[in-house]
Amino acid sequence: MCASKIVRWAERRSPWVLHFNSGSCNGCDIEIAALLTPKYDIYRLGVQLEPSPRHADVLLVTGVVTRQAAERLKRIYEQMAKPAFVVAIGACGCTGGVFAGNYPVLGGADKVIPVDVYIPGCPPRPEAIIDGVVKLLKKLEASKNE
Amino acid sequence: MSDVNDRILSAVKENIPQDKFSIEVLKPDSLAFRTSSDMVIPTIKAILTTSDDATLSTISSVDLTDRFELLYHLRTLGTIATVRCEIPSADPRITSITPFIPGANFAEREAADFLGIVFEKHPDPSRLIVPDAWPKDLYPLRKSAEMPTPDTVFEDITVQETSANTNGTIRMKIVIGPQHPALLEPERFTVDVDGETVTKVVPRIGYCHRGVEKAAESRDYMKDVYMVERICGICNSCHSTTFCQAVETILETDVPARGRFIRTIVLELNRIQSHLLLIGHAGHEIGYDTFFQYVWRDREIVMDLIERVTGNRVISSILAIGGVRRDIKESSIPTIKDGLSKLRTRSEFYRNMLDEDLTLKMRTENVGVLSRKDAVAMCAVGPVARASGIETDVRLEAPYAAYDEVPFKIITRDEGDSWARIRVRADELLNSIEMIEYAIDNLPDGDIRVRTPRRVPEAEAINRVEAPRGELFYYVKGNGTQFPERVKIRTPTLTNLQSVPRLTEGGNVADFPIAFASIDPCFSCTDR
Repeated sequence: MCASKIVRWAERRSPWVLHFNSGSCNGCDIEIAALLTPKYDIYRLGVQLEPSPRHADVLLVTGVVTRQAAERLKRIYEQMAKPAFVVAIGACGCTGGVFAGNYPVLGGADKVIPVDVYIPGCPPRPEAIIDGVVKLLKKLEASKNE
Repeated sequence: MSDVNDRILSAVKENIPQDKFSIEVLKPDSLAFRTSSDMVIPTIKAILTTSDDATLSTISSVDLTDRFELLYHLRTLGTIATVRCEIPSADPRITSITPFIPGANFAEREAADFLGIVFEKHPDPSRLIVPDAWPKDLYPLRKSAEMPTPDTVFEDITVQETSANTNGTIRMKIVIGPQHPALLEPERFTVDVDGETVTKVVPRIGYCHRGVEKAAESRDYMKDVYMVERICGICNSCHSTTFCQAVETILETDVPARGRFIRTIVLELNRIQSHLLLIGHAGHEIGYDTFFQYVWRDREIVMDLIERVTGNRVISSILAIGGVRRDIKESSIPTIKDGLSKLRTRSEFYRNMLDEDLTLKMRTENVGVLSRKDAVAMCAVGPVARASGIETDVRLEAPYAAYDEVPFKIITRDEGDSWARIRVRADELLNSIEMIEYAIDNLPDGDIRVRTPRRVPEAEAINRVEAPRGELFYYVKGNGTQFPERVKIRTPTLTNLQSVPRLTEGGNVADFPIAFASIDPCFSCTDR
């Protein structure tokens, strides 16, 4: 009980984030990269970008889910320690966007894995992504009292 | 331009009997030869003799119901010479040209994936771009192909092992990707290492394949502009410019001068943004994160300028068939100039850093050397080719937008290593800033756009644009309706990626990320 409280506290204070591009155009990806750099500096919220799924709390998915990447996205989500949270970024990550209905495209990220926060936009501005991440943190805050 | 065409023509006439080929002109003003499928290779070889740097741009393939048409676009003497032939769709076979142009490898495998054309004697005819689980006999770009719905599940999920020969010398196989800290995008590289030395690199692309070429056929031209723009978030306006220019060529539309100048400004802002991205990313790949953070901090200056000019930070959405959708306001010109002068100071600083900083030099000099000969053989384009001493730049060869009026200098280096590839881009940054300043000072008055018909006649055109990563090539064929018959897209990274095995093999495994990043790979472009 105590251990899970500590985990929750750590997640809230410093979520470790993994970014996976499952068929994006790079537009959202460069905005995520811009988040890490001095102007937007998402580190100030305690967010840390983490390359390994096994250490990450939050998965940022950009782009449509292509047939080729779907299996890999599922596998990455399964490798993450639970509870794991998923943020779908961009019109493509939310619904498939302009590519919805194309033959190698399955749709948005929620076709394959459960999504907690959707951040629409093509691409969403860095401020919008920060807002989405803060909303997720608030959601975690609320679940603390359960 | 006509003397270039004469030289190509005389080379073909010398080598090919008169009755074996006919001459056509493919818009805009490039030569096209029609020949039979057995005479394709001699004709290509004849065209290759016209220049040392002559190489393949790409192969376009079109489904004409009962037969397939193949167009081999060869780049020589600054123009495109096309060799076209038809093969029956019942038994689509043709001899591969990869044995003598190694850089044709991906172009042929792509045509095999999309249309089911069999390239005989191809050294590695494995699947390149369609998903592993895609049925073997379903070729998406055939007009008769019935596409599965997203809910269709294909059972046979078999990860194909593309690495062919393992003749006992391999000690270890490292799989880089699809999810890997060194890659921002999903793509898989199978790297064989012997101790610390890389012995073999096999790329497998297609993780970002979104079927844009097929989808373009079912959306009208206006919607296609928005879709092709979203092929790549980094060089988005290059894609929409190339597509719009190709359609304008078919429609014989002249874009107003102000529209052409605004296009040039947007394209150069795009180049600055992309080059700063790469220079910073290169710093990240060698573990020099301070450099990465500084460069990306200054990249925000150009992002603000792009937003000021186009209304959007990333996807500019300013291009339209017939011109541009948004004018540059007189009131924003001082802001743009102020931003450019800040950028110039910072770019000069980074260029000097590349010359002087020991950390950067030690990690990039003599790493991933691509010789001039290899660059030609692998059909390298853009800064990768220019860093190996090849003078190739579409802005110079076939000026589009306002590049015939804006002063421009080509930047080449002879070293061919990772440092040279980054350094070329640093110089191009400064060049781009000068070009934008000139274009803003000499911005003509008048309209920014002309109206164009929605229906596009039955005709075809090729168009090229110098994207930040190199020559971007579009082939567009109309069929008299508002939907295109075929849109073929060849992105610069698709062809530059073929150089990666040559860059990295024999090098240290720790140098793989930087040697690889120095070509500025963009997989969303590559996969489409």
